[in-house]
Amino acid sequence: MRRITTLFASALLIGSAVATLPQSAAAAELNIIMEEVPDYDIVRTLTDQFMAEHPDITVTFDAMPFDAMRDKILTSSLAPSAVYDVIIVDNPWMEEFARAGYLAPLDDNIAATSGYDFDDFVAPLREVGVIDGATYGVPYYNYALGLIVRQDIFDDRGLAVPKTLEDYVSVAKALTSEDFYGAAMQPQRGYKIMEEWKNWLYAAGGSLRDESGTFAIASPEAAEALRLYIETHKAAAPPDSVNWGFDEALRAVASGRAATMLSYNWMLPALNKEGGLAGDLAGNFKLHEVPGGKAVLGVWHWAVSANTEEKDAAWTYVSWITSKAVDKQRVIAGGAPIRTSVISDAEVWEKGYGEDYYRAVLGILEDAAPLATGTSAEEVIEIIGTELSAAVSGQKSIEQALDDAARGVDRIR
Amino acid sequence: MHLRLYLVLPLALMLLAIMVYPLLFSGWISLHDYRVTRLGDVRFEALGNYAYILTDAPFWNAMTNTFVFVAGAVSIELVLGLGLALLLQRLVRFQNFARAILLAPMFITPIAVGLMFRFLLNSELGVVPHYLSAIGIRIDWFGPSLALFSLILIDVWQWTPFMLLMFLAGLEALPKAPFEAAKVDGASAFLTFRHITLPALRSVIMVALIIRALDAFKVFEYVYAITRGGPGDATETILFFIYKTGFRFFRLGEAAAMAFVLIAITLTLVMALYLAMKRDR
Repeated sequence: MRRITTLFASALLIGSAVATLPQSAAAAELNIIMEEVPDYDIVRTLTDQFMAEHPDITVTFDAMPFDAMRDKILTSSLAPSAVYDVIIVDNPWMEEFARAGYLAPLDDNIAATSGYDFDDFVAPLREVGVIDGATYGVPYYNYALGLIVRQDIFDDRGLAVPKTLEDYVSVAKALTSEDFYGAAMQPQRGYKIMEEWKNWLYAAGGSLRDESGTFAIASPEAAEALRLYIETHKAAAPPDSVNWGFDEALRAVASGRAATMLSYNWMLPALNKEGGLAGDLAGNFKLHEVPGGKAVLGVWHWAVSANTEEKDAAWTYVSWITSKAVDKQRVIAGGAPIRTSVISDAEVWEKGYGEDYYRAVLGILEDAAPLATGTSAEEVIEIIGTELSAAVSGQKSIEQALDDAARGVDRIR
Repeated sequence: MHLRLYLVLPLALMLLAIMVYPLLFSGWISLHDYRVTRLGDVRFEALGNYAYILTDAPFWNAMTNTFVFVAGAVSIELVLGLGLALLLQRLVRFQNFARAILLAPMFITPIAVGLMFRFLLNSELGVVPHYLSAIGIRIDWFGPSLALFSLILIDVWQWTPFMLLMFLAGLEALPKAPFEAAKVDGASAFLTFRHITLPALRSVIMVALIIRALDAFKVFEYVYAITRGGPGDATETILFFIYKTGFRFFRLGEAAAMAFVLIAITLTLVMALYLAMKRDR
């Protein structure tokens, strides 16, 4: 009887000990919204490693196409308790979401995480997540634009890769023949044309805002950039391509119908992959900085929802996936780089896509600026992108399109 | 309370919950500067949103595009639907088979139809431009001058079967006697159609027109899947414009005001068609 009593007392003691374990050791479940892109596949694979290292945290992903994400993030952020504990934020949304109070500030977490080295993220990427001095996001992957060329054609013809806008226009024209085109362009209304044309604007010495920060869209530089853009589209881009977006332009280059395109830097490995989308042309493509040097920066950030009850676990995950060691694995597996130390790592060059590629990526990232900033960035992109498309398709003159774009942006309430 | 009232109570409550409340709430937010990213700063605007959109050129451009789309698509569908119904009515063999084939497009979801035509007509990937170029014809289906017309053609492909179905049912319900009398009097096919078939079908035509026009006003999927409103603003339709304002820019007050203006315009049109139909009876 005494033995039974002792056993019972021991069981009670063990039970109460388990029940009084600190709450932080209780299982946390993180739900993360993701976009269905190649980097997501890599992150998903790496996350198995995270869950093995952190058995108290379970991570589930809700992956979806880009178009569905904004609504989902909004409804999650407005709910009393977050549906998504961790969200990924595209750079035009960052200020809008941060000022709406959807994102938790991360400065204290960053400071408390030893060895995190926040300054190691390439500066323009890092700065997108900082609003009024507070950090709301840490970089996930970049989609800055570079100039992708058929290097074999340039070498065969003894052509230099264009460094200025004027050079690019003349090279694109020179490469155009009956059924081959110098530039596969993306003048599709809205985001696509804006993303491409803004590189031209930078190369022409312009900017969307003046030194005081107010919009200055109808500038002489913008008019010149648009004039050259239209001239190149007419003379060196495939016919009937006024509505082309990313898919069509990529296909034209991959199928050997066009010599150059301004596109995401991480498209290069996909084009050069043996047996990939470029078929026999694989290996002939090379990445360079965009003409003029300064590129449009696209970047996704990891952010922690302000209304999640799992902020600590969320930061544990975010800091793990963006740590130097894990980010190195991600980039070697084909992820788009974000950290200077990883881009400059000889092991990454060797196991990844070679030193030339990573050096070109670093050059692009260091001199890149976001497509648009502010709380209405999404709308600004749409308004200007619509007017640019109207000019390229001949519906409006250059001056009229830029004036209408300026008026449209002024009318944003 | 009387039993009858108890019995309709669940339906009344359901209608209140799913129709009346959202409508009233939309009316309320259309009078406010209501943005979901600034819920702490919702301000009463009275008719400010209405005044803003009524002077907004992109809003009226979207409205004009929508009218062109509705007028173009519905009139082509009317003519084709009536023609096909007359042919199908005379078909003795394989009538059911032909009917099944002709009705098929109507059963495909519009977003799938949009994606299908996006690739079929794509200048780089499309089968149609490929074969047309083989015989020396080059058409930029989604260029600035043809993009809206291409969307009209896609709608015609999908929704002519609806007109066909309506008119075929109408034709089969017509009394035989007037047609036999016309035949005995030696009336030509055209005269019979002009003076007997068309007047007899007038009510069916009006109903079909109203249903299709109301549906065509809601065009969204083709624009979303194919052109996103471009090039420029050539294919921006009103529902796509409202979607952008409300769900991409999160300005729900303004989007609600646009929706109410759209409702007012469509109701006016429906009333005009209905009165025309009543007057002709």
